[in-house]
Amino acid sequence: MSLSKTTTSDIAPWSSSLAHSRKFKAFATTFSISGPVVYCAVEFFNWPLVTYWPATNRLVWGYEGMTKGEGPNMLWYGWTVTTVLIAAALGIVAMMLPERVTNKIPLALVWIFPILAIPYVIYALMPWWTLAMRH
Amino acid sequence: MTEFVSVYAFWTIWLFVHLILAVGLLGALTHQAMAVALPARQPSGGIVTRFRSVSAAGYATAVCVLWVLTFLVGSFIYTKYRTYIRIPLEEGHYYKTGGFFDFKENVATLGLVLLPAYWYFWKNVENPEYDNARKGVTLVLAVMCWFLFIVGHVLNNTRGFGS
Repeated sequence: MSLSKTTTSDIAPWSSSLAHSRKFKAFATTFSISGPVVYCAVEFFNWPLVTYWPATNRLVWGYEGMTKGEGPNMLWYGWTVTTVLIAAALGIVAMMLPERVTNKIPLALVWIFPILAIPYVIYALMPWWTLAMRH
Repeated sequence: MTEFVSVYAFWTIWLFVHLILAVGLLGALTHQAMAVALPARQPSGGIVTRFRSVSAAGYATAVCVLWVLTFLVGSFIYTKYRTYIRIPLEEGHYYKTGGFFDFKENVATLGLVLLPAYWYFWKNVENPEYDNARKGVTLVLAVMCWFLFIVGHVLNNTRGFGS
């Protein structure tokens, strides 16, 4: 059994090896492409992983609707965590796929999808705009 | 913490930290966006040419770290915003201001999920395969960052420092 020699790549910073890893490319591009789509879906179906109640400093799993005496609830934290977890899971799945498959993912989707998500986000905030028009 | 500073000062300090991080992020992303959108052929020249001729790849990790830190500090302040800022805004019928803040929180998350690909593209700056994607994602992040900054600034003017 021979000991492996230390090469330049062995002592290179972790970021360098990560930046040239094909698996990380599959993870990063899939995470970033799916992220905006997943976020819109999570917001549409209202799937927060947690609901936070700032007035009472209470954090609960999943969605919890408004209740009397607890002040407003906050869902955005939950939406964000759900999105990150789902996008990360999809990224991990992409890492397991053969390179010939992941290489076919159009990289332009990384910047096209967040632009396409903006009209939905504006639409989802319709209660604000409706109230603004009435007053 | 409230033994050392008042509650008011505590949240003002965090708001200030959020502002400082956001200014750093805005500067780094604007440099990068200018460098990819209007690359300078030679580094010398006027202030605009010098602004465009930075080594843009060197900003990638800093941008990611600053985006995450600004996001985390903003998320922390958000808890107070929801009770002490948003409710008075609604009572004062500042619905557009409140709506734009909710728009801001959504855009901040959309930007956050772009960071892994953005970082990867910039760390492989020598690979022409990623040129268009790198340019697109950098410009999108820069526009998002300016939007987040302006909305935050307007909201602060409405009910922020000193309110």
